Amino acid sequence: MRSDSEQLPSGQLGRLLRVGAVGVGAALLLSFPAMAPNPYYLSAGIVVLSYAVLATSWNFVGGLTGYISLGHGALAGLGGYGTALLVTKAGLPSFVALFGAALLVALLAIPLGFAALRVRGASFVIVSIALVLILLLVFQSWASLTGGSRGLVVLRPFPGLLRPEHHRVFFFLYAALLAAALIAWWLIDRSRFGLGLKAIREDEDKAEALGTPTLSYKLIVFVVSAAFTGLGGGLYALWFGDLDPVFQFSILTGAYMVLMALLGGVRHLFGPLLGALIVGVGLEYFKVEYGSTPLHLVGSGLLLGVVVMFMPDGVIPAVSHAVRRLRGAADSSIREVTAAELAEQRRPAEPEEARR
Amino acid sequence: MTLATVELSKSFGGVAALDAATVTFRPGQVNALIGPNGSGKTTFFNCVTGMIRPDSGRVAYQGKDITGTAPHRIARAGMGRTFQLCRVFGRMTALDNVLVAARSGSLVERLRSPRSRDHVERARGWLARMGIDHLEHAEAGAMSWGQQKLLELAGVLMSDPETVLLDEPAGGVNPALIDRIADLVRELNAEGKTFVIVEHNMDLVMSLSDHIVVFDRGRPIAEGPPSVIRSDERVLGAYLGV
Repeated sequence: MRSDSEQLPSGQLGRLLRVGAVGVGAALLLSFPAMAPNPYYLSAGIVVLSYAVLATSWNFVGGLTGYISLGHGALAGLGGYGTALLVTKAGLPSFVALFGAALLVALLAIPLGFAALRVRGASFVIVSIALVLILLLVFQSWASLTGGSRGLVVLRPFPGLLRPEHHRVFFFLYAALLAAALIAWWLIDRSRFGLGLKAIREDEDKAEALGTPTLSYKLIVFVVSAAFTGLGGGLYALWFGDLDPVFQFSILTGAYMVLMALLGGVRHLFGPLLGALIVGVGLEYFKVEYGSTPLHLVGSGLLLGVVVMFMPDGVIPAVSHAVRRLRGAADSSIREVTAAELAEQRRPAEPEEARR
Repeated sequence: MTLATVELSKSFGGVAALDAATVTFRPGQVNALIGPNGSGKTTFFNCVTGMIRPDSGRVAYQGKDITGTAPHRIARAGMGRTFQLCRVFGRMTALDNVLVAARSGSLVERLRSPRSRDHVERARGWLARMGIDHLEHAEAGAMSWGQQKLLELAGVLMSDPETVLLDEPAGGVNPALIDRIADLVRELNAEGKTFVIVEHNMDLVMSLSDHIVVFDRGRPIAEGPPSVIRSDERVLGAYLGV
């Protein structure tokens, strides 16, 4: 109990600091369109935000259950094509189509998840890659519906808007979607459901043996993840207005989501967002500086290697650990507590037990 | 209230781990399941708790056929288990480890905080009973082997089982802790919990159990109270190879 009372003030301070930091971060993000020097920067900002949405959506599955999906690019692509087709073929209003497509992706995620989530580890990764490749072939070949490699043009939702205004509106739409995804992740993370998911991440059989319905839990969170990923992909279709299967069903999209989430830290709410900021800005920089060379791929590959080798938990834990060590605070790992200290800690508790 | 199997069989690649094992455990007692290495004890546990689907045969618990039922349903039906190589959630705190096992009903309830007052109170109660409540904020992976064993037991008990299956509770544990675990089993048994214990430590088995089932090559070869088992020739044969 003593440790509780010691932790309380710093815990409250920490919470205050965190809330403050989130507020500052949100203010910076929302002021970006006003500060961006030209529409190019604004569109780059939208691309980075869309990465942040996708990486955060991926992290529902990757971060909470530990299942590494490289197939989330396919879910984003389905969201994009779903939205585009509902607009062009079914004539639905843009944002009805967006939510309709996300709903369809979520429904499709039920059988997909039911099949894929039965295998673990590397097998799950391979199944998820197969999903992307299959859908790429389908959407390329089925040209009568999807336009194939010629592409599919989507009407803009706001025909009257000029280009910079269009960017500005979509920046805020993406920011709203990101906020929704973050809030959903936060709510799940701190729930009993979330604790069960984290137990699955640690030891799935053990979680099941303790009464956690692991398959249902994984399936539910996969569907939530798919819905947000579909929304992210659909919003991209409405913003960009032109879809090509090669880019919509690319292994790269899923790989970027994994890299961003791992880089930032999958156990943290803002990990994927931070990773998306770093990788997304880096990718845009490489594209501007080196044009269409594959250098950005080499760069992200190297970065993934460095992250996995030196920061397996991502930037956030690595930095906070370093800060704690610099401060010299007693990082109380159990092994460092001596037997004498333990006896000391236990002593006050004993008279209470005796009284009972 | 009984756990029983009928003709339970399971082979791995042609090797019969369980060979038509028909076993009935005594409700309200401390049952032991002993036998040489590879005699099918752990496979038996895995089949009974739903972790492995048997090739043939039935498992009955509390009068219901639970063969092929998902492990989490069996757990919620009141059968808890520990694992041979103690398994805890290494990167969670001790308290969270125990809270994972708390029951929740509706989906809405599952979206509430796991640290509700009554759950935390019960979880702390079990940690205190194991004597590791001072470690509730410690990461489970950083705890000692013995502490992890106690933590695993606390988690299982949090799920409120009527029957507890322990797979080698004394394995790799120092003698003082073995006594503590034995006392806990006696206390919990007195409170009405049925135990089925796989264990190689014969002193512990003989002192603790009311009823012993001996396995050899995937099937029971003898059963009875410790006094009978101690002098059973088939048991001596299976263990000593005479």
